[in-house]
Amino acid sequence: MLAKGLKHLCTAAVLAAAMTGVAHAQNVIKIGAINPYSGPLALYGDELARGYQLAVDERNASGGVLGRKIEIVRGDAGNPQQGIAAVDQLVTRDKVDAFIGTYISAVSNAASDTAQRYNKLYWDTNAVAAELTERGLPNFIRVGPNAQNFADMSVRAVVEMIAPALKKQPKDLVVWLEHEDSIYGKSIADIQKKLLEQKGVKVAGEGSHNFKAADLTDAILRAKRTNPDVWLQTGYVPDDNLLLKTAREQGFKPPVIELVGTGDTQETLDAVGGDYLEGVFVVSYPRPDISEKYGPGAAAFLAAYRKAYNRDPIAPQSLTAYTGMKILLEVIDAAGSTDVAKVRAAAAKMDKPLHSYPSGFGVKFDDKFQNTRAPFTVIQWQGGKQVTVFPDEARASGASLKNTPRK
Amino acid sequence: MDALLHVLVIGVLLGGIYGLVALGLNLIFGVIRIVNFAHGELVMLGMYGAYLAYSLLGLDAYVSILVVVPALFVVGLVVYRLVLQPLHGESSMQIFATFALVIIFQNVVLAVTRGEGYSVPSRIAGHTLELGDVRVTVSRLAILAAVTLAAVGLHLFLQRTMVGKSIRAVTQDRQAARLMGINVERTFMITFGVGSALAGLAGVLLAPIYTLSPGIGGNFILAAFAVVVLGGLGSVAGAYAGGMIVGIVEAFAGYYIDPELKQAIWFLIFLAVLIVRPSGLFGQPGAEEIGFREQE
Amino acid sequence: MDATSAAYVETRAARAGGIPRVQRAAALYLGGLILAFVPLAVLSNDAFWLTVLTYTYLFAGLAVAWNILAGFGGQFSLGHGVFFAIGAYVTATLFVDHGLSPWVSLVPSALASAIVGALIFLPTFRLKGSFFAIATLAFNEVALVLANYAESLTGGPRGIQVPFRAGFANMIFADSRGYAILMLGFMALAVGVSVVLMRTRLGYYLLAVRENEDAARAAGISVVQVKLRATALSAALTAVGGALFAMYVRTIDPPTLFSLPDVGVKFALLALIGGMGTIVGPVLGAFLIVPLESYLRALLGGSLPGLHLIILGVVMLLAALFMRRGITGVIDAALVRWRHRRRHV
Repeated sequence: MLAKGLKHLCTAAVLAAAMTGVAHAQNVIKIGAINPYSGPLALYGDELARGYQLAVDERNASGGVLGRKIEIVRGDAGNPQQGIAAVDQLVTRDKVDAFIGTYISAVSNAASDTAQRYNKLYWDTNAVAAELTERGLPNFIRVGPNAQNFADMSVRAVVEMIAPALKKQPKDLVVWLEHEDSIYGKSIADIQKKLLEQKGVKVAGEGSHNFKAADLTDAILRAKRTNPDVWLQTGYVPDDNLLLKTAREQGFKPPVIELVGTGDTQETLDAVGGDYLEGVFVVSYPRPDISEKYGPGAAAFLAAYRKAYNRDPIAPQSLTAYTGMKILLEVIDAAGSTDVAKVRAAAAKMDKPLHSYPSGFGVKFDDKFQNTRAPFTVIQWQGGKQVTVFPDEARASGASLKNTPRK
Repeated sequence: MDALLHVLVIGVLLGGIYGLVALGLNLIFGVIRIVNFAHGELVMLGMYGAYLAYSLLGLDAYVSILVVVPALFVVGLVVYRLVLQPLHGESSMQIFATFALVIIFQNVVLAVTRGEGYSVPSRIAGHTLELGDVRVTVSRLAILAAVTLAAVGLHLFLQRTMVGKSIRAVTQDRQAARLMGINVERTFMITFGVGSALAGLAGVLLAPIYTLSPGIGGNFILAAFAVVVLGGLGSVAGAYAGGMIVGIVEAFAGYYIDPELKQAIWFLIFLAVLIVRPSGLFGQPGAEEIGFREQE
Repeated sequence: MDATSAAYVETRAARAGGIPRVQRAAALYLGGLILAFVPLAVLSNDAFWLTVLTYTYLFAGLAVAWNILAGFGGQFSLGHGVFFAIGAYVTATLFVDHGLSPWVSLVPSALASAIVGALIFLPTFRLKGSFFAIATLAFNEVALVLANYAESLTGGPRGIQVPFRAGFANMIFADSRGYAILMLGFMALAVGVSVVLMRTRLGYYLLAVRENEDAARAAGISVVQVKLRATALSAALTAVGGALFAMYVRTIDPPTLFSLPDVGVKFALLALIGGMGTIVGPVLGAFLIVPLESYLRALLGGSLPGLHLIILGVVMLLAALFMRRGITGVIDAALVRWRHRRRHV
């Protein structure tokens, strides 16, 4: 695999050398993709970039945008300082026309801020922190969902799907809220608590843990004490896996387990096995296996991904990234340029209903340039596979809930 | 009331994990006086070794001990010979070099695996035993058993075997040991190898519990250092007891106070102990007199 | 002074060109400052290298600040991230919540850090070497947890965002060159403090304590006082660096500030490879590692994950193996050989 990587590197170097002779900077639209491509989140940064690349390849095959081909230039950034340096580098050396990103919200924050001073567009497809759009940066547009959407969808799932399945009214439900303790888990959990209480659901307690902790038995025992109907956890893969394993070991058997953000990939399946996972809900990015009615083109994306990378997508974030890039290219087309003001104007005018794009998104930006039509979906693990079950429009035909309440 | 017992059990099992990781570090720290920041990465390599043994050879995690532990022993020998021995006498540079190793090990594994979170299944590891109301997994019991056996074994090794005695001699006084005809450099190399092998053992036994990632070593290294220092430099019993203390404090703090604060709480207790007993709980007073000056 | 000694002193002064040592030191300092300014002048139009240079200056200053306690004082601290964070939080909070100019906030930031440093390091001074290092690591970890927890004080996991309100009084510059000069100034300050310190009694006491604590105590030096003062100075300078960092990156949160490999431990690494215990060593270490890391990330960051860090790690390893006493060690050895050759021509 290392040899393959080196081979890729050499090929890229040769191609780059060749291309500098062939394509002049002005004939190509360059988009800088800022993500962590190294460090603990490298997998997800790379996955997003793969989504971008697929969208770009598709568009280039049909002539590009504004008569020009599109090229992605990667900028590795794992923390805000690196984000600033990456933007500087991409603007001055690679002469990018616009930016796209970003798996880490803090990086998006710093990078978009720096991009603003170069007057370059920052188009965010995946970062979820609320303040990215709250701060009103003039070059920032978020086409993907945010923390509010995560919380919304997870609570809607509890109230509209889980409560009926348990044959209970929301006001009779007891929920334990677990989350990892960084801004990601905390901001989502804060909103979840508010929304749940608004709907009359009882929040028995809130547990905050470090996602890298060596032991999470205390989190499980504290939740177990309150005997909740729904155990709702927002976190990353390492803590999801450890919590699920520990729950199984400790005989913690809530009627419903709902994970938010992660827990829908092979990594979790490998960790706890299909039997235990049966019936677990995961609120996450839309998957390529959603119905064609919900997300037109999702199947085509899946096929393209498999062809280009010889495997299934590692995480559903790539579909959202792919969709985000697609929309960006359309907006640039409509604007006739990559100029920030023109793109923002064109984006503001865009109005596409839900289910226009492969991830099921539509396009309608609010006054803070947050796309209001970018919902998450909820899958349920069934037979070792992730089946989209909520909202109802996203549900694949014939799919029904399994193992709810959990046996 | 039986939550108390439950939490105590959790703490002891967690203590076993910390103790096992710290055992190898304690040996290296105590004998060669090297602060090996790459110890967490040696544990990580042990975990990935278990994964490789499983995916390539189909070995169960516990069986792969036979392959991974010797492999890590060799890795330790090589690392010592190529990196640490040439820097003999330059303690600060040795620390710098171990940091470079951390970066290299983590990123080589990242490059090869892209960072995907592997799991190592084990048929026995997942079984749970019920002792009354308390449920305990085989995987954690195995770790407790392993750390106890390893600690006892290490103790016997150091006390009864010639190699062990030469290690102790070198720890006490290098000059004198050399005068007695002990090849100090070779002793150090073997010590580092044994310490790395112990890290590999920890890695294999931890693999069924956690999701592997290139940076997972970093999750344990700070606790391991705290345990080693708390227990007292070079004391095997100290590392064992230190692990238990940290584990139990963490478990109680996590359950009764707040899981978010548990790390801070045991770090504070660690600091408090250190201030009162600078040589650690079981260390010889004066053992903390290891500045960055070499003895020779 | 008798005739022989006076003659001896005169001869030596004459051989040295007759320049007394204070002026020589001042000349070296100014010369170094000009030399450090050269990259800034050359690269001021390349935004990427300008950013890299800005970080390099900042981390050079931070490494120099660290070295005051660790290199000169012999107390190898891995907890300087705490001081860095205090500087960042105090300045950012005073600016965002009270509109106080960061220039003014440098004072409370430095003070707070010095006080905290003295308080928490005091009980740990009886620890030696690696024990002390690991205890300071513990401080960093405790501070990280507390920063995450104390939301009303630090903004919790969200941290603090400093809005972009350009202006000299706000220490926010629209032109990146402003930041570069700011960081150069910080580095100059840190180096200047080091130079002055090592010419004062405190500096000599510090070295004495480092070499042999018991002998120093026997000679009548208050070891604890000396260490406390060095800690306060080192912590204060580090906090100033943290404050500047906050006004540059303008988004600070616990993971960024308390990251060991990027902050707390990095100060030590830069000083180590440059030459611990020398004034200019940490600067050289920063100028080696920071640009190299940034360049490798820019060049290879988008390809095979982790590749650029593998290369960095290997370079660091080779540097450790071939420059056993750091960069200044290599320079010293070369100088010795050169002088030796000169004398024997």
